[in-house]
Amino acid sequence: MNTLTRRLIAKEFFQHRWMIASSTLAGVASLLVSAGPGIRYAIGSLLFITAFVSFGVVLAMISIATERKERMLQFVLSLPVSYADYVRIKVWSLLACYAGPWLVMSGGAVALVLATSHLPDGLTPFVVLLSGFMIANFSLVLSGALLARTEGVIVLLIIVTNMFVSLFLFLVSSLPGIAAFKDGAVPHWNATFWAVLAVELAVLVASCLAPYFIAARRRDFV
Amino acid sequence: MNHAKHIELAGVRKKFRFFTLENLDLDLEAGQIMGLVGPNGAGKSTTIRLITGLLAADAGTVRVLGHGMPEAQALAKRDIGFVSDEMKLFSHATVGWHMDFVASIYAGWDPQYAATLVKRFNLKPEQPVKGLSHGEHVKALLMLALARRPRLLILDEPTSGLDPVARHELLTEFTDVLRDDSRSILFSSHNTLDVERISDRITFIDRGRLVESRDKEDFLERWRRIQLQMPAGSALPELPDIIGRAVDGQFVTLTTNRFSADMLTHLGTAVREVHRMSLEEIFVANVMHHREARGE
Repeated sequence: MNTLTRRLIAKEFFQHRWMIASSTLAGVASLLVSAGPGIRYAIGSLLFITAFVSFGVVLAMISIATERKERMLQFVLSLPVSYADYVRIKVWSLLACYAGPWLVMSGGAVALVLATSHLPDGLTPFVVLLSGFMIANFSLVLSGALLARTEGVIVLLIIVTNMFVSLFLFLVSSLPGIAAFKDGAVPHWNATFWAVLAVELAVLVASCLAPYFIAARRRDFV
Repeated sequence: MNHAKHIELAGVRKKFRFFTLENLDLDLEAGQIMGLVGPNGAGKSTTIRLITGLLAADAGTVRVLGHGMPEAQALAKRDIGFVSDEMKLFSHATVGWHMDFVASIYAGWDPQYAATLVKRFNLKPEQPVKGLSHGEHVKALLMLALARRPRLLILDEPTSGLDPVARHELLTEFTDVLRDDSRSILFSSHNTLDVERISDRITFIDRGRLVESRDKEDFLERWRRIQLQMPAGSALPELPDIIGRAVDGQFVTLTTNRFSADMLTHLGTAVREVHRMSLEEIFVANVMHHREARGE
């Protein structure tokens, strides 16, 4: 990794340090709220999902769309870097920025399920899949924002990926291999779990690689 | 002087939906300041984007500091300082942060020169970029580009929107860069006064086509307005190289782009005055002549 790559990655962490910290804090706080039973759990879960999703969207938007819209991209591309390098650095640096809060929130959610008496441990595979979905969904937003040429496409992308959250919650929790065991006393790491996780992994990998191939063929960058 | 070409464009074509840059040939040698002059929408920024690798040509070749563009742009940009009036620094960071950032990337960063520029431009390293005025922002961009001591400085409308004092400071700085004759500057503007002041080579561009490219002194020496007073009933003698004529009664004003003493001899006693033309007048006359010649 050369100096420029390191500096650009460090720049992303510096630029988003407050957002990373506040989103992590919001995620942890919402988990603490959802540790309570009944309505507290419902509100906490909603806040948790909102914090998780909005962090990813805002991170990608500020780092990619705003950088382009406010013409900071021209400054970056005046540095000794190609557009393909820029795309590579953006993908990895934003994934790295997202990974910290993602690990804390995902780990916290699993710990909450396992440690809280009113939540069945059978919910753990679903929570793991939800975490996997969050990072896959973020990679889709990230990839789309890098590939989109207009603000309209980016807005559409945000709407669609937000709809995916509701779809995921509804569809995956209804899958027989998940629905039958999520209220159980022990987690079931069955074939359905692994199949969904594999799809999430495939989306994550494809989303991260797509900008490389498309950017390499793109000839105009501003 | 090192005569290696810093910029070479040959037969370059770039087509957009409503604009096409056609068959552009352009050379810039080391040690030169080239002013790229054209009206709004002429293709100046497109040309500069092709040179900096931000756009790829549909046809022709673009070589910068010996590197093919845009393929080798990362390599070429190690020695290029590029500033555009459309370029913005990171709004969340300070001027000082940007100095550290750029210094860590470029081996040629000159901290003493950077400090001199900061003082000369009245910049404050601790100031956040989002609080800078337009003029301060441009100065900060230029300071960051100049202090890395690039071999080629590319400036796209750098003085646009600046007050006269700020423009003077920047133009003085550009000429200082050329004290080292291995460096060169490509400078686009529609402000012909700025271009006339610092350029030693000038390229006129209009509606996506190169109109003319030559040394500034060549332009200033070759272009003249000649005022004649024709005796009643006499006809204007046929003259080559007259690209414009305006008749007002017995007074005739001729514009030529190949002025010579022979021309005055040929016109004889009808000549009343001969005016040198400013770069702006040359630019306008040249562009209008080429548009007419192309039937536009």
